[in-house]
Order: sequence, then structure tokens, then C-alpha cells
Amino acid sequence: MIADRLLGLVFLAVALAAGLSVWNLVVPFAADPLGPRPFPLTIALIMGLCGLLLLWRPVHRFDPPERWAGPPLLVAALLVYAMLMVPAGFMPATAITAAAVALLFGARLLQAAATGLVTAVLLWALFDRLLDLPLPKGILPL
Amino acid sequence: MIETLSALGGGFAVALQPQNLLLAFIGSVLGTAVGVLPGLGPLNAIALLLPFCLALRLPPESALIMLAAVYYGAGYGGRITAILLNMPGEPAAVLTTLDGYPLAKAGRGGAALMLTGIGSFLGATLSVIALTFLSVPLAQVAVAFSPADYVALIAFALSLLGAIGGPSAPKAWAAGCLGIALSLVGIDSGTGVERFTLGSFELLGGIDFTVLAIGLFAIGEILLLIETRVRAAVEAMHGGQRLTLREVLFCLPTMLRATGIGFTVGVLPGAGASVAAALSYTAEKRLNERNGSFGRGDLRGVAAPETADNAAQIGSLVPMLSLGIPGSGTTAVLLGALLMFNITPGPLLFEQRPEVAWGLIASMYIGNLMLLLLNLPLVGIFARLLMVPPWVLYPGVLALSFAGVYAVSNSAFDLLLAIGFGVMGWIFRKLQVPLVPIVLGFVLGRLLEDNLRRALSLSDGDPAALFASPVSVVLWFLTAAAILWPFLALRRAGPPR
Repeated sequence: MIADRLLGLVFLAVALAAGLSVWNLVVPFAADPLGPRPFPLTIALIMGLCGLLLLWRPVHRFDPPERWAGPPLLVAALLVYAMLMVPAGFMPATAITAAAVALLFGARLLQAAATGLVTAVLLWALFDRLLDLPLPKGILPL
Repeated sequence: MIETLSALGGGFAVALQPQNLLLAFIGSVLGTAVGVLPGLGPLNAIALLLPFCLALRLPPESALIMLAAVYYGAGYGGRITAILLNMPGEPAAVLTTLDGYPLAKAGRGGAALMLTGIGSFLGATLSVIALTFLSVPLAQVAVAFSPADYVALIAFALSLLGAIGGPSAPKAWAAGCLGIALSLVGIDSGTGVERFTLGSFELLGGIDFTVLAIGLFAIGEILLLIETRVRAAVEAMHGGQRLTLREVLFCLPTMLRATGIGFTVGVLPGAGASVAAALSYTAEKRLNERNGSFGRGDLRGVAAPETADNAAQIGSLVPMLSLGIPGSGTTAVLLGALLMFNITPGPLLFEQRPEVAWGLIASMYIGNLMLLLLNLPLVGIFARLLMVPPWVLYPGVLALSFAGVYAVSNSAFDLLLAIGFGVMGWIFRKLQVPLVPIVLGFVLGRLLEDNLRRALSLSDGDPAALFASPVSVVLWFLTAAAILWPFLALRRAGPPR
């Protein structure tokens, strides 16, 4: 119930922010009868009303994750992946991340290392060699 | 009639090209596979494949043929886990577990799988035939739609999101609004001003549909999977009595009724394959109250939902192709894919891009035949996919998502954005906010504003024009009804617990 109220608040806040951000838009010349404001404002208004409805009448209970550590660790791994992708290159970044994710999904160390290596090499071969879609080379001399 | 058949012939000329046959085959295999794999469904698979289609510059009809094959192929795969594992591989297969698992326990898993394979094929093929003859007349009605009528039609499609949501209708609508707001990010095509860019240079060009789809449906899904651990025992497939021709004939009336229900429900916007499967299961149960063993392993109990599921999937392509309005989450993603190829589905699609519309329709006849041939003998191989450990599968899916996003955009910023959408999708799922409205809103948002603009330009800015035509008045009434419906239902159900 509290979670739904919070969600309602978030929707309300997003709607307010969205509404405010388009409120002051000015168009130098009026070529178009609608202009940039009314449509997003309407959408923001509806979203805000939905937020209020949720505050007033929350529906669902929040079911806590069975394993709290999983999701934040996974997000951290993905953030590192996104940061490493260009400087380190696709293969090293993928090998590291895939191994880390495999560990999070309960693999043993050796299994994780194998998963990382195989995933990285296979996807590189698929994208870069077979389909001719270039991926960042990074530090590897390819 | 003759025109339809000759147009369909042209479609077959497209669909039978070797490249398109190959893509339909790949799509069918992948679709069945993701239908089997728990946690991955057609939406996830299409989101993952989208960047490939774009980066490889596939012709739009080829891309659509493959993506659609994934879509209807998943309807074949979902039944395998439902029957053997008591675990639906996709949401619409929930009803299949009711009789499928008891059948598998009684050693008739193989028979149930074969029967549902036949049912899926029958439901899908009959529905493709109906779609072939229904799309063009429907599109011809829609050709006469003015921009104002379209505004009302899109508003109606969006308002229906809440009507299915019941008490969580506000969540569905808010999610739809969020999707629309996300579609408006970037430079407004009508006036040239920046909206919702938060001053970011990268967001000037707008948010890429692939980034949103992969974030919500690949990364978000895996975040949800990592916090739960599911293990169940696979029931043996063989050993029992084989499926007899008599049993198939015995279930034939059930399959035909399920096709009717499924296709009709699919065509109607808002409801989807899950609703169709549930409806047809309940109908069969009621109809055969005296002589049925529903819930304890009745063959008709697996035939009905599986047939209806596939029929509804095809049915929901009708409004997408002929009106340009998606009726379900997966068709919204397909529509998004078409828009990325600069093709606007809708009444003019059949005239302007017949190779896309008819190529797709023809390919569905072929694809379903491939799926039947694939599924009858190879069902055991697909079931083995369940033995792939999650620690091999999910790192691979994540790496594939990242490679796909990067191949399309060449930007690390889009990777971060996809992670952000993934986290959002995970939180929303935890809070039972439906994700389909986000995709639907994202796909329909710009269309809605563009049509609003056109309608107002035609009327010199007079908003009364939006309610001028009879079509629009009817649609606005329906919209109002769809908005009020959840509140009435809520009141009837009494105060919340």
C-alpha cells in the first residue's frame, strides 16, 4: 500500500516536472495551430490525475525480492559494462561482465569464466565477422 | 475476392524469396525457443532482434516477416513448458497448465504436445485466412478516416489500456502517459523546439525505440529473474499412449470454437492472447460440464487455450495492419519496428507498400506450416532448452542486448539509457505497473500529436472539429466508457482490502 502511494507521488512529481518544463516554451512564429505546449501539458495533466488516484486509493502490496543483493549487483555490473565497452573494447568488457553475471546467477568460478569467454568470442564472431556490424575493438589488436 | 487472391499471390512472390524464407524459418525457430525459455517471450525476443534488422539494413518486409514469425512462433513454444513443467513459458499458456500438467503426469505429455501443436497450427492458419479477407475491407473503411477521427481512435486505443487493468487502471494510464512523454523527447517536428531533453545533447534526436524496448524487456526482465530462483521437475514426455486420430477428431470442434473466440478477441483492441485463452477454456469447460474431466487432464482443456492463443495472436495483427493501431504489447513493438523503417501501417499500407502488407500475410501461411513441421518431431529438442543453465543463458542475453544497442547507435550513452529503462521496468514490474502501455504510448504518442496537428490545421485551430464527424463522436463515447468502466467495476467490487 505504501509502495503504491509512493508510486502515486512519483507519477505526480514527474507530471509536475514535465508540465513545468514545457510551460514556458515559446515559438518564435506561429506556423502551427497547436504549438508545442498543449499536447504534453494534457498528457502531464492525465498522468498527474492518475498519480492522485493512486495516492487516494492504492491497490497493491509490494512483494520484496527473494534475494535483495541480486538486482543492485547486476545493475552495477551493467554500468561497468557500459563504461568499459568503448575504452576496453567489446570482447574484454563482455568477457568480464558475462562472467560476473554468471556468478550472480549461481555459476561456479570456472563455469563463469568459461561463460564469459565463450559469450564474448561468439558474439564478436557473430556481429563483427558474420554480420559485418562493427563493435568497439578497444585494447585488443584485431 | 479475386483482387485479394491476386494480391496474396504477389505476397507469396515476396515471401517465397530465399532470403525471406530463411528469415521466416529463423524467426520460427527463435520464436519457439523463446516460448520455451522461462522469462523470455516474444516481446523480449523481438526487442533483441530489432537492432539486427536495423543495423543489417534488411528490407522492411523481410524484417517484419522474421519478427512476426518470432511473435506467432512463441505461441507454439509456450505450451511445451506449460505441459511438461507446469510452468507457462508465456502468459497466455497459463490455462494450458491446468490440464496439460495432469496429462503429462499421466504419461500423455507427448500426446498433449502433439495435439496442441495441431491446434496451434489450425487456429493460426484459419485466422490468417480470416485476416487475408478482413484486412482490406477494414482498411477501406479506415481510408475515409479524417485526422480528427484518428485522434479519437488513438485516444480510444489508449483508454482501453485501463479497462483491462481493473483496479490498477490508474497505473496503466499513467504508464501510457509516461510512454507518450518519452516519445516526445527531442526536437518537436512541428515547431522545432526542444521538449523534455533535460538540456542533454544526446536526447535532442529523441529516444530510440530499440533502446526503450531492450531496456524494458531484456534488461528489466533479467533484473526480475535474478531475484527469484525457480526449479521444477520436468515430466517425462514419452511412455504413455500415443495420440490417436480419433482423439484429434474428438477435439476438432473444440479447436474450431477456440479459433472463433481467439480471433475475435484478438481483433478487438485491448484484450490479448491471454484473455482469449482464458475465455475459450472457460467456454469449453461450461459446454462440456457433463462429459468432461477438465482440470484433471482433459485433452480438450489443452486444445482450447492453445488454439485460441495462436488465433488471437494473428487476430491482433488485423487492427495493426489495417488501422495502424496495435492491440497488444507485441503488436505495438512490431508497429514500432515498422515506424523505424519509416513505414506507417494503416489503411494506405495495402496500396502504397503491398510488398510489406501482403508479403507478411503470405509469409504467415508459410511460417505456420514450418512451425507445425518443426514442432511435431522436434518438440523434444526444444524441451531440452530447459536444461540450459540460467548462468549461461542470461549473461548471453545481456551481452546480446548491449551489442545490439551499440550496433544501432554506436553510443555508450544509449547503453546507459537502456540500463535506466531496465531499472525502471524492473521497479514497475515489482509494483505491478503494466509495461505494455509504455510501449503503446511510445508508439502512438507522436502519431496522436501529428494527427491532432493535422486536424487543427484543417479547421484553422478550432478544437470543435475534433468532435465533428459521426465516427469521432462514437469513438469519443467509447473512450469515455472505457475510462469510466474501471471505476464502475471498482465500486461493484466494493472498497479495497
